[in-house]
Amino acid sequence: MISINHVTKEFAGKTAVKNLDLVIPDGKIFGFLGPNGAGKSTTIKMITGILPIDNGTITVNGFDITREPMKAKKIFGYVPDSPDVFLRLKGIEYLNFIGDVYDLPRDIREEKIDYLTKSFGIYEALDDYIQTYSHGMRQKTVISGVLLHDPDVWILDEPLSGLDPKSSYTLKEMMREHAAKGNTVFFSTHVLEVVEQLCDEVAIINSGQLQFRGNMKEMKEQFEADENLERVFLELTNNE
Amino acid sequence: MNKTLRLIHTMLKMQYSMAGKSTGEKLGYLFLLLFLVPFAFIFISLMNSIVATLYQQLAPTGNENALLGLLFVGITFILFFVSLSSILSSFYFAEDIEGFIPYPFHPYQLLAGKAAAPFISLYLTSGVLMVPILTLFGIHSGASFIYYLYAFILFIIFPVVPFTVVAIILMFFMRYANIAKNKDRTKVFAGLLSFVFIIGFNIIIRLNQDPGQTAEGAAALIQEQNGLLDLITGMVPTAYFSTMALNYARELSGLLFLLLMLAISTGAVLLFLLAGQKLYFKGILGLTAGSRKTFDPHKVTRKIKHQPVVAAMIKKELRIIFRTPTFFMQCVVQSLFAPVFLIVILLFESSSSSFSMLGTMLGQFQGKTSLLLLFVFSLFILGVNPASYSSISRDGRNWPANLYLPVHPEAVIFSKAATAWLINLLSILLLAIIGIAVLNMPPGLFALWVGLTLLASWFTSLVGTALDLNQPKLHWTDEQEVFKSRLISLFALLIEMGAFGFIVIIIWNIDAVEGLWMTALLLALLLAGAIAISHVVLKRLIRTHYHNTI
Repeated sequence: MISINHVTKEFAGKTAVKNLDLVIPDGKIFGFLGPNGAGKSTTIKMITGILPIDNGTITVNGFDITREPMKAKKIFGYVPDSPDVFLRLKGIEYLNFIGDVYDLPRDIREEKIDYLTKSFGIYEALDDYIQTYSHGMRQKTVISGVLLHDPDVWILDEPLSGLDPKSSYTLKEMMREHAAKGNTVFFSTHVLEVVEQLCDEVAIINSGQLQFRGNMKEMKEQFEADENLERVFLELTNNE
Repeated sequence: MNKTLRLIHTMLKMQYSMAGKSTGEKLGYLFLLLFLVPFAFIFISLMNSIVATLYQQLAPTGNENALLGLLFVGITFILFFVSLSSILSSFYFAEDIEGFIPYPFHPYQLLAGKAAAPFISLYLTSGVLMVPILTLFGIHSGASFIYYLYAFILFIIFPVVPFTVVAIILMFFMRYANIAKNKDRTKVFAGLLSFVFIIGFNIIIRLNQDPGQTAEGAAALIQEQNGLLDLITGMVPTAYFSTMALNYARELSGLLFLLLMLAISTGAVLLFLLAGQKLYFKGILGLTAGSRKTFDPHKVTRKIKHQPVVAAMIKKELRIIFRTPTFFMQCVVQSLFAPVFLIVILLFESSSSSFSMLGTMLGQFQGKTSLLLLFVFSLFILGVNPASYSSISRDGRNWPANLYLPVHPEAVIFSKAATAWLINLLSILLLAIIGIAVLNMPPGLFALWVGLTLLASWFTSLVGTALDLNQPKLHWTDEQEVFKSRLISLFALLIEMGAFGFIVIIIWNIDAVEGLWMTALLLALLLAGAIAISHVVLKRLIRTHYHNTI
């Protein structure tokens, strides 16, 4: 469970996130929506400890990201919005590095790397430099790295962008399975079809403030039943 | 033409923009400028005395123009060298070219844009020598207005030919060098080329040197007018033409020589653009990154192994430094430069016995004196350790990974400092080889010297890392930006010089400290103190800056 309590973040006088209060429960796939510059990435960066929080607290499974960062960070796995990380390493070196960071025993590491990279179809590219990978392959490498230590909480920033249909399907299935086991899956996206297919609950943020939180049914009920999600989204975010 | 100028403007703006620089950094540049003012006065008065002396010596035999010839020849060689590195980095190493390729520009337009930045560095370099010397020569020879006009025109056009020659050679090389089909390796190879170029140049000069003969020849040549000029500019025609243009500025022949220089430079520009049109795109487009090889699952499995997180971090840092051409050149090759150069000099001079005697001399010195001298010398050779002051900035857009991965901030930062220390180890190893094999140092002195140098290297690694953590440059688009136009190396140098200078002066002046072992002990204690202070400072910086870098 991720608990965001009255969180505020400012950049040079501009409020990026304003008094955000949000609980992402276990056992659900939770979608985080909003137009460009709404504060999604800033929120995710605060949850993951990349950006310091100005006001308020964030806990991941009860661990405060500011006060107990190491414990909190061991619990979640984070897929950043850009997969261009450690381009000068080979795929296998990157995954092994992540394995060392999470202190994974060798046998488990070998088994997981084998399973994940074969599922995503990047196994045979593992001995190549990440720099030579396509955007999608890099994304799959990062996702494999994140899932390596089997984190309880998944935090994914635009995880499906750049994935081919098969890998996209694989990841969505993995997300469903993970949530079904009672874990947390929190992801941001622009793609409304994905939200409609995948999410149990959604939160919509605009100008740093929460506009809506609830399940898909509730969201549609607030508006006329025949309206599609796109129109609902545009209305909630004032057509920005 | 308009489009080309626009492109040049944009490319220069991207390279030299002050946007994103903090007020502190801008103030730093201002201070640097103020600092340079008195320095410039000293420099100009030094130049003045050199020019005046040489002019008085050479004028009686009508050889004063040899001074100009020497200037132009010297400038040509300096420009060759500066062009080599700046063309490589601008034309081939900078990744930004890939962003321009999809737009409808002709190769020659892109080339003109890419040539702008190297040209600025060429003018800055040649300006330092050409502007004062040409002006001073004019003053001493009582030159006319036309001389100064010609000098200005020559200042503008002179870099064109050296630049073109280097650019065409490099473009030709890069066009056909990619047989290996590996961009990174080609980059490193080309970078090493400039390294070998300097060393090789040095060796050739040393091999050709026969002091007696040169002096005799010069004495004979100096008898006839212009004889010395012919000797000096024999290999560099443009230097000869430029000198003649200035020398005969009052006569028609001067104008003809100037027109000849203008024609050669225009021809060079056209040749450059033509060669660029044919070679440049093929050179860059041919540079494919990486190659496909057959996949071996066992090889992959072998790479999966468990190791402590700090070891994994250091390994990752080293891999990135050694595999990124710019990092490799700046952090590894450049720091090896001084020791390798030293070895070359020592090897060629060893026959003259002056250096082989040095080891014996060191043995005869008081233990204290020789240890302190050696210590200062090795610090001078080791320099400021670029791997340390680029520790954080090298990560660039990868930096956030350090923040969300569960690695303790101190583990991240200290493994970066350790990486810088390990890289310095290469230079120390070379120095140690010199000490043992060439200088035949006494074993006790040698062991103490190496031990103290290792300690000092840890101190410089910590200082560099702390400086970079204090103000990292993470938002770069090209790796060069991590090292270029930053004041950090200057700060590192000032702090390190200050600290070591202080330590050495203290020990030097305490008469109670004498003998090798006591000096070493005190040096070690003071170094340990400096290291302890920098540990505290670095830990403090980790608390205050680590999470506030973005």
